[in-house]
Amino acid sequence: MSAVRPVPPITIEKPVAKVWTGARAIAEAVKLADVDVIAAYPIRPYTGIMNAIAAMIADGEFQAEIIVADSEHSQFEVVKHAAATGARVFVGSSGVGLMYAYEAMLVTGLGSVPVVGVVGTRALDDPGNFGMEWTDAFTTRYFGWLISWPRDVQEALDMVLVAYRVAEDHRVLQPHFVALDGAALTHVAMPVYPPTKKQVTEFLPPYRPPYRIDPMDGPVTKAQHIAPSLIGPEQRKRIDVAMLKAKEVIIEAWKDYARYVGREYPPFIETKWMDDAEIALLSMGAYMKDIELVVSKLREKGLKIGTVRLRYLRPFPAEELVKVLSGVKAVGVIEFGFSFGSPYRTGPLYHEVATALYEADERPKLLDFLFLGGREPKPEHFIKAAEMVNELAKGKTFEKKAYWLTLRGEDI
Amino acid sequence: MVRLVKVKPHIERFPEYEELDWIVSHAIGVDQTSDAMRFSQVLAQAAVIRGYESYYYMRYDDSPERNYLPMIYYVVIGNPKINVLLREEIEPVGHLFNVIAVFSSNYLIQRTAQRALLFDGAKTNATLVVNTSLSPDAVISLVKKYSLAQDWNGKVVTISSSKIDKSIAFPMIGATLRGYEKIDLDAVLRALDILGLEKKKDSVRKGYEQAVVKEVNIRAEETEKFKTMKHEIEIPEFDGKYWNPEVYYAYQKAAATAENYVQRIAAMPRWEVLAPGLIEFGPKPGDRNIGFTTGEWRFQRPVINYKKCIDCKLCHLYCPDGAIDFNPIKVDYRFCTGCGVCVTVCPTKAIEMMQEIQAMEGLIDEEVPVKRFEEREYGY
Amino acid sequence: MSSGPSLIRSVKEIPPIDYYTSGHRTCAGCGAALIYRLVTKAAGPNTILIGPTGCMYVANSHQFLTSPYAVPWYHTQLGAGGAAGIGIAAALRALMVKGKRKPEDINIIVFGGDGGFADIGFSGLSMALTYDYPRLLYLLYDNESYANTGIQASSTTPWGATTTFTPSGKVKRIGNERYKKNMALLAAAHPKIKYVATATIYPPLDLMNKVIKALNSGGPSFIHVLTPCPKGWFYAPHETYELARLAVETGMWVLWEYSEGKFKLNYKPRPRKHVKEYLRRQGRFAHLTDEEIDMIDKMVEEEWKYWLESDKLGKIILPW
Repeated sequence: MSAVRPVPPITIEKPVAKVWTGARAIAEAVKLADVDVIAAYPIRPYTGIMNAIAAMIADGEFQAEIIVADSEHSQFEVVKHAAATGARVFVGSSGVGLMYAYEAMLVTGLGSVPVVGVVGTRALDDPGNFGMEWTDAFTTRYFGWLISWPRDVQEALDMVLVAYRVAEDHRVLQPHFVALDGAALTHVAMPVYPPTKKQVTEFLPPYRPPYRIDPMDGPVTKAQHIAPSLIGPEQRKRIDVAMLKAKEVIIEAWKDYARYVGREYPPFIETKWMDDAEIALLSMGAYMKDIELVVSKLREKGLKIGTVRLRYLRPFPAEELVKVLSGVKAVGVIEFGFSFGSPYRTGPLYHEVATALYEADERPKLLDFLFLGGREPKPEHFIKAAEMVNELAKGKTFEKKAYWLTLRGEDI
Repeated sequence: MVRLVKVKPHIERFPEYEELDWIVSHAIGVDQTSDAMRFSQVLAQAAVIRGYESYYYMRYDDSPERNYLPMIYYVVIGNPKINVLLREEIEPVGHLFNVIAVFSSNYLIQRTAQRALLFDGAKTNATLVVNTSLSPDAVISLVKKYSLAQDWNGKVVTISSSKIDKSIAFPMIGATLRGYEKIDLDAVLRALDILGLEKKKDSVRKGYEQAVVKEVNIRAEETEKFKTMKHEIEIPEFDGKYWNPEVYYAYQKAAATAENYVQRIAAMPRWEVLAPGLIEFGPKPGDRNIGFTTGEWRFQRPVINYKKCIDCKLCHLYCPDGAIDFNPIKVDYRFCTGCGVCVTVCPTKAIEMMQEIQAMEGLIDEEVPVKRFEEREYGY
Repeated sequence: MSSGPSLIRSVKEIPPIDYYTSGHRTCAGCGAALIYRLVTKAAGPNTILIGPTGCMYVANSHQFLTSPYAVPWYHTQLGAGGAAGIGIAAALRALMVKGKRKPEDINIIVFGGDGGFADIGFSGLSMALTYDYPRLLYLLYDNESYANTGIQASSTTPWGATTTFTPSGKVKRIGNERYKKNMALLAAAHPKIKYVATATIYPPLDLMNKVIKALNSGGPSFIHVLTPCPKGWFYAPHETYELARLAVETGMWVLWEYSEGKFKLNYKPRPRKHVKEYLRRQGRFAHLTDEEIDMIDKMVEEEWKYWLESDKLGKIILPW
């Protein structure tokens, strides 16, 4: 268990903004966290992170073993084993690369190995497509990885540092990835205030798992085959509880992050204009910027609308979401993932939100807005979404639940 | 220090299963896999011919398709329907088995899969069918000593199968009919037609005719196992702390001393004591894995003639199970699986294999369970 | 190198302690279990074992809270053996270089089967052999099939073997019609690799000494170990040692090592026994005709010319 530290008097240094891409900023976080082992394999858009890290290591900015793997599967297995041996690690991938690493990600989660990585979200093949979709990251929801979703480059850097703190906490000990909206965050440079080395050292204790694969820790046998009559649900339960405990650890970690680094975030859900909102647009990631712009304009016109941004997909903040949306009449879910043939032909974020809201005493009505195939939505699409949600709140019946606003042709 | 607490294992009964008829067969993995499979297949087919719903399946969880591992097949016969889902593994508790078919007599003196006793899960009127040249009286006295700890008012049927057919399944089927009434010889012969096994009819008939049957009436108190069995096990007390290797070692010891299936299951921990990350702890260097002894698979054992032994250490070097101590050379029979590799590497022929039943009881069973490769077939 | 690592000269000198101990669920007479024992004995206590999925994963443990490994052991996915070794080696080096762990010589041994190294994990193994981590041994225990799942053909299953995926049938009688992949030659194709060898459990100390040499070679190393498998080859469990001996004496299994760019045969069968002595003891070849067995013998005879030539040159010539 990580001990609660005494609160030292903090003097926040006058920060200097650096204009960095998401890739560059993440590399900085990896350096600040003093990561020991990194495994790389190229695929757009996350590759830039590894390029930046490799350059830093080559120039001696920090020391780490960087493994150029033969596949994403090997890449994720390298860091899994390194982390089990006691090294702090970093990994990442995108799109079909992540799918190739699927098995390795799975055993990392089920083996409770606190790997930290980044997914630069990308549309899945076929056909090849540099556009952004969320399906790659969403498919790994079941594996025991914590998943967080930053809005901008600054938050991406902060989230990576917090990810180490949360993942390595003995109450959690589960892997964690930060999902960066591909291109929109990975490849756009924005002003960033990196924390200092001293701040990070104070915030982030050294990584020390309870039992390492190391002769120093004795004859530790890890992940041996089991007979389910003897053990089975017991091992799964530990991960279930780790996810439960992760919520308290996440709250603590962001509180501490604010204390040491001086930047504050609401832990799970960021809301705007929700105090009096009758309708809301809900989403995650970089496009929140456009959504918030649209909503602020609509409010000027008198529409009682607000925005809800989820910062964590796993653990999913269900109770918090119910609290935020109670009393709201209609919600539009803006998302970039698909699950063809799913209930009402909606997307995976909709499924998560609808499941959470099922327990609400007063459930808002829902509409799903799917932006698929990598084509970027523009503010006018969000205006359209807001108008439709407003009509829904006023009682209009929609014949379906999910709408493809960037589609050419009839949206049947 | 790990505080231990005494637990009396709880027996979970399955009334839905007890209403069914069960024929359980115990065989030696790989060598007898196809025999147990054929045995079960024919009986299930015959039961269906007589209008009962019938399933057969291998206990899958143990993954027993390995040389000499104890393996289990089940035939389930409905009354007349099977209205409950049959699980891959049915814990041998309660009163399930109408017939216990034993393909090798070593299961009379050894424990079966998952440290169960042969009679764990038997109905009190069960029939025990044994492939052996031993007499029913000899079988009964072995059972009373090693594997029975309950009342038994049933039958013993013995058959020396390999004298009739190298495929011992078929004489065993014939013998089984002498102690189980729902299936008759005629139904079995028709089942053989359906399965394309017409040539085996004679073997089944001979098995039926040559089987020796004896009625048994034994009270639990008369059996040695009942007298000596501890009904409590010691497991670590849960004190709210996680991840302690000593707790794990204490659980290993509880597993090692479990005397039947129910105790084995009771010696498993609750989830809170598990170390995160699927961590367990192996033996300290120099120790063996006491939680999982493999000597119970053995139907034959190596015996070292120390007068001929020149202490060359080759048998230690070549033991796949690491069951021969280095110094002095000595077999650890808790772990020896009886493979016989040591015999082939000994330069002075100082090691001989002896039947387990002979070593333990001075009896010789002419039914030798090992097959030459040309008689083996893939049974999985 | 004037003074190499100290080797074991007689059976009486072997380390008495086992680090892969009794109490595992492998077949009686299991060749792979025996190899695991010998290799871990040779490696000693400061060793980490990695077990990609296969017999030596599923069979070894299975009974929860009990483990046969007296040194750290971690399961890895079937195709991840190469990456697993690299991950652990990288972690240890990073932690030691950065002062986060006491510097120490630690052996890492990845026990992959033929499925794990010759098939699904081939790419990862090859990646691993291009790195420079010392004391990292990839040991292929080759029982010439996916024995754990019930004897399915792999790319190291020999020609003519019947397996459940390549059964000898009424129309397709031969069984497996692909030729055995030579993994040690493939490993030797990685430039600057420090140590590659083939081995089996015969002669007695050959495997253990090769493990010692591999771990002390200064880089990643690879040993391809022929592993008699009573279940998959169809023979009685007590014949495991005999079959390894016959594989070597018939020349069907060639013992060699390739160290610092120098090739050397470790055993020259004189006279070489006819391959029938080896093949006819295994049920998986029972369907082959005498002519077919003779054909295999001729093939082996032909290949041996090149093995002997390679030995003379100290360089590898492809034997086909």
